[in-house]
This record gives sequence, structure tokens and C-alpha cells, in this order.
Amino acid sequence: MKIGVCIKSTPDTSSRIQINPGGDDLSEAGVKWATSPYDMFAIEEAVQTKEATGGEVILFSASHQDTSKEVRKALALGPDSAVCIQDDGLAKADSLSFATSLAKAIEAEGCTLVFTGKRASDGNNIQVPAMVAELLGWPHVSFVTDFELDGESFKAVRAVGGGVEEVITGNLPVVITAERGLNSPRYAKLPMIVKAKKKPLATKSLADLGLTADDVAPIVTLSNYEPPAERGDCIILEGDAATTAKELVRRLREEAKVL
Amino acid sequence: MSFDLFNPTEEHRMLREMVAEFTTNEVEPQAAEHDIKGTMNVELMRQCGELGLLGITVPEEGGGAGMDTVASVIVHHELSKSDPGFALAYLAHSLLFVNNFYYASNAEQRERYMPKVLTGEWIAGMGMTEPGAGTDVLGMSSTAVRDGDDWILNGVKTYITNGCEAHCFQVYAKVDGRITTFVVDRDCPGLSTSHHIDKLGMRGSTMSELIFEDCRVPGNNLLGEVGGGMVHMMRNLEIERLALAAMSLGIADRCVEIMVSHAHERKAFGQSINRFGQIQKYIGDSYAMTEAARCLIYNVAQNVGPDVRNRIGSDAAKLFAAPVGKIVADNAMQVMGGQGYCREYPVERLWRDAKLIEIGGGTLESHQKNLTKDLSAKFRQ
Repeated sequence: MKIGVCIKSTPDTSSRIQINPGGDDLSEAGVKWATSPYDMFAIEEAVQTKEATGGEVILFSASHQDTSKEVRKALALGPDSAVCIQDDGLAKADSLSFATSLAKAIEAEGCTLVFTGKRASDGNNIQVPAMVAELLGWPHVSFVTDFELDGESFKAVRAVGGGVEEVITGNLPVVITAERGLNSPRYAKLPMIVKAKKKPLATKSLADLGLTADDVAPIVTLSNYEPPAERGDCIILEGDAATTAKELVRRLREEAKVL
Repeated sequence: MSFDLFNPTEEHRMLREMVAEFTTNEVEPQAAEHDIKGTMNVELMRQCGELGLLGITVPEEGGGAGMDTVASVIVHHELSKSDPGFALAYLAHSLLFVNNFYYASNAEQRERYMPKVLTGEWIAGMGMTEPGAGTDVLGMSSTAVRDGDDWILNGVKTYITNGCEAHCFQVYAKVDGRITTFVVDRDCPGLSTSHHIDKLGMRGSTMSELIFEDCRVPGNNLLGEVGGGMVHMMRNLEIERLALAAMSLGIADRCVEIMVSHAHERKAFGQSINRFGQIQKYIGDSYAMTEAARCLIYNVAQNVGPDVRNRIGSDAAKLFAAPVGKIVADNAMQVMGGQGYCREYPVERLWRDAKLIEIGGGTLESHQKNLTKDLSAKFRQ
């Protein structure tokens, strides 16, 4: 069985995000890139699944940039190989552009189970996994906190809010998106770091996947970025709990007008 | 891509990121507790074993990672940002024993010891310093004499890191006046250890004496040849000194980070204290000397290995870097004032830890002595 994992290189959570002069895009200058945190749970689940059932794990990334550094680091966590889709045609990609290219690569590799993070830490759109599944004609289960595979059958538990869990069973193929709590990602052991450089990492263009620029032309384009408004001064309400709660509600209703 | 002195290969960069993550998640939370108790975290050492860090400089065919001195420097550097005391225990295990033993031992000896020490199942240390012989290491008085197939060791080794926990030690003793290396198990008859020697800093590692009283060591525990000890000792001292220098750098890095952050947040007289020239001197000087130490250590580390001798470089790196950790920790404490002096913050612990690096693995004075001797020889050729 081939298990795919879609990962995305996103600005490290400690990076300072800045807007280009003119506001047409975010600046990539000085940004430290890292695999999106939720994708780390996806990698771990794929590797654990492989360890339990056999098979191989293939990483997939799609970007206009070279993501091989982050992908190589992810290979040190246990996956067997990687496909990096790198093409200038993805410079203004939207969710569907990424999903189109990823789905093509997944199909080409013959994967039947795909994990990915529930969302990427940059765009935070929560769209690509469902789009990949749709393009492949597969079902998908999102926000999964527990996953079991028995032959071709899977059981996935997902949190639906309010402490309620939903259990979904089905057969492969499927796309699973990882929620925090699915597992504890391992550290890259030193022997695996040394081995990672020898693992196959294929860089593919859109043309290699049989795609044209039109196939990945974005439907959604972001043209104007603005920093969030400066936070105003903090108001500390004085008095006992009953008084401050009453005053808080009054201010929320009459001044902030949010109630 | 431009050359990165501090991460010369992709593996070095990944190693640094892995150890940094491990340090933040696993090492930092336990550091203060072991400092207060004066204990070494054996389980944490075994986690280092699981991560493959205990045999970092051992070739892959020997069960290690097959990496170089730069890799070892990276690990000591990153660990010391949180817990120099534990880093010292790691140094005693991974370099003073594992690295030293691997290059001094034969195949049969490696088979007996390497699996246990690479995983951390066995903790290990090294015995060189004696009550009457520190810098003057050739003046050691421990002896070994042949008795049938065995060796009988007598003498006392002191200030032995990991002495309280270790299952085996690499020990130097004189055979007919020639320094010779042995591997000695804790349960060898006639070997005992003293009480835990309490100390100012580096309290995340322990220290004791090793007392050899007609200690019977099997004949096949002789490492290399009789008289081969000097080569083992000197070869290992170079990587040890760079690792200690890297620990000082880790302390300095952490202290710069803390003092810059504190000086920004702390307000006095209506403004951040980083607006005051006196504070700026501490910050500027600390950063500059830390960067200078970083460049020197990593530059020398490129040229130290089991087959590459570079005593001038390693002595110079430790001579320069050891005071940097101490001075920068002191500067950080001064910037923080009372907060820096209190145990609620890590600076006072790092300040106590830093002093050891001016003494252990060669005093500053021994580095000055070596440099003068080696440079005199070099320029009089």
C-alpha cells in the first residue's frame, strides 16, 4: 500500500510576517520556513500506519519555491520518498491550484490513503484536503483525532465540537486530515537524519504531471494586504465580580455593540 | 547556496533543529529541578541514546551516526542553552567515554561495550585527573601491574563526571611509568566510588572519586598497547575542549537572548531600560563576544577529528570561549538586577554553570601553556 502525505512549507510560527510595499503580497524576505505544524501529525500517522501494516510513505508538496529543505527534514521522520511539485505557475496559487497539482501527483504515484494536516498555518483556508479528495473522487474525513486501519477498512474518530465525537468507518481510498491529539510526532533520530539525504526526492514541474498553467490558474486572487488595526488600550474593570460582570455586559452592548 | 560555517551540511542543520526542539521540549523543563537536587537525569541520557546522539562521532559501521566534530559541537551548543549541567554529563558519556573508547578499542571490546553505551543502558565516564595531578597530567600516580591474565590497578581519580551513575570508565594508569588506557567496569573487585562531590554549578551532572584498591581488571580490558594512553588522551582532549567551548557559547547565546528581551520589557524612569547607555554596553559587548566565540569554535571544529590533530585551534577556542559564557551570564544578571539573581529565572544557574568551563577539560592556564609551547615550535621551525 502506498500512503501519501501532503505537506506544506509555511513560515515558521516564530517568523515575523511583513507585507510587501504596495500591499499586493506578503514578503518572503527573512522568513524561516518549516512544515506546517498540523502536517507533522499527518506525517506521524502515516509512518505509524506503515509501521503497523507495511507499505511505503510518500510525501507531496506543491509550491513555486524550492521546498526540498523542509521536505528532506520531514523524510528524516520516517517517510520513504518525496515528490516536490515546484513550478512558477504556482506563484499565485489558490487552494484549487494546489489541490489540482497534488491530486495529479498522488494519482500518478498510486496512493490509496492520504494524510494531511487539518489546515496550513499560513493561509488557514481548510480547503485543500477536501478539494484533493474531490478531484480524486475519494471520500475524506476531517479533523481526525484517532485512526485505525484494518486491511482496506478504516475507522476514523473526529471531534465535532462540544465534546462530541463522530466515528466514521469506510473503505480505502480516503483522505484523512489530522487534528491535534491524533498522535505525538516523534523527533527525527540522528540515524534517520543521516539516511534522509539518500531517500528519493523527485522535483516535478506542472508539465511533468501533465498539467498546464491554465489547469492551475487561480480562481481566487488576493490583491490587497493590510496589517490588522492596532489594538486599543486595555480597560481593567474595578470592583467585585457581580459589579464588573454587569459593567462588562453594558459596555459590550452599548459601546462595542457586539451583544 | 552560500557556505554556512555553523551548519556546513543539510544533516548538520537538521541535527541542530532536532536537538533544539528536544532541548526546548525535554531538557529545559527538567533543568532547574536537577540543578537544585544535584542529580543527573539518567532517563534523559537514555532519550539521547534513542535519538542516536550518544555515538554521534562513531562511524556508522560501529553503530554510531558517523558524523564529525562540528556535529558534536552543535549538540553541546544547543543542549547548553537550557542545561549545561546535563550537557556536561552528556559530554562525559559521549566524548570522554564513547568517542575515546571507540578509537582506542579493538573489535571484541567494541562488541562488549558499544551496544550498552550507545543506547545509554550503561552510563559511562573517564578517569584522568588525580588529587595530585590535574593540569600536570603526566604526573599521575595511578599504577597498573600485570598479575597473570589480569591487571591490578591502584590509585585515586577525582572530579570524575558521571562517577556516581556510571557503569564503566575509561581509566588512565601507568604501567612501568608509561601511561596506559583501560576500560574498568564498576563491579570490578577493588573499585569503589566516593560520595557525590557537591559543587557550585553544572549540578545537572554528578562528580565523585574513583578509588582503585588492588582493583582487578581483566586482561582483555587493556585498550590499545601498553604506553598508548598519551595518544588516546591527547586525541580526545581536542574534541572535548571544543565541546566545552560550545557549551560556553550555548550559555552566552541564552543569556544574550534573555537580557535583550528583559531590557526591552523592563521599564524604568518611564522607558525601556534598553534606552540607557549602560545597559546598551552590556548588550552590545555580550553579543559581539558571543559572535566572535561562535566563529572561532565552528571554524576550528571543521579541522578536528580522530585523524586531524589541531591542539592550537582547540586550545585557542576554549581559551577564548570559556570566559565569554561567564562574562555574558554576568552581564545578563547585571541587566536583570534582582530578577537575574533569583532562582525564578535561569540566569543565576547559567552563571554558576559557566565558571566550570574555565577549569574543566584544561584550565585557562593550561591552554596558555600549550599555545605558547605549540606556537613557539611552529614559528621556530
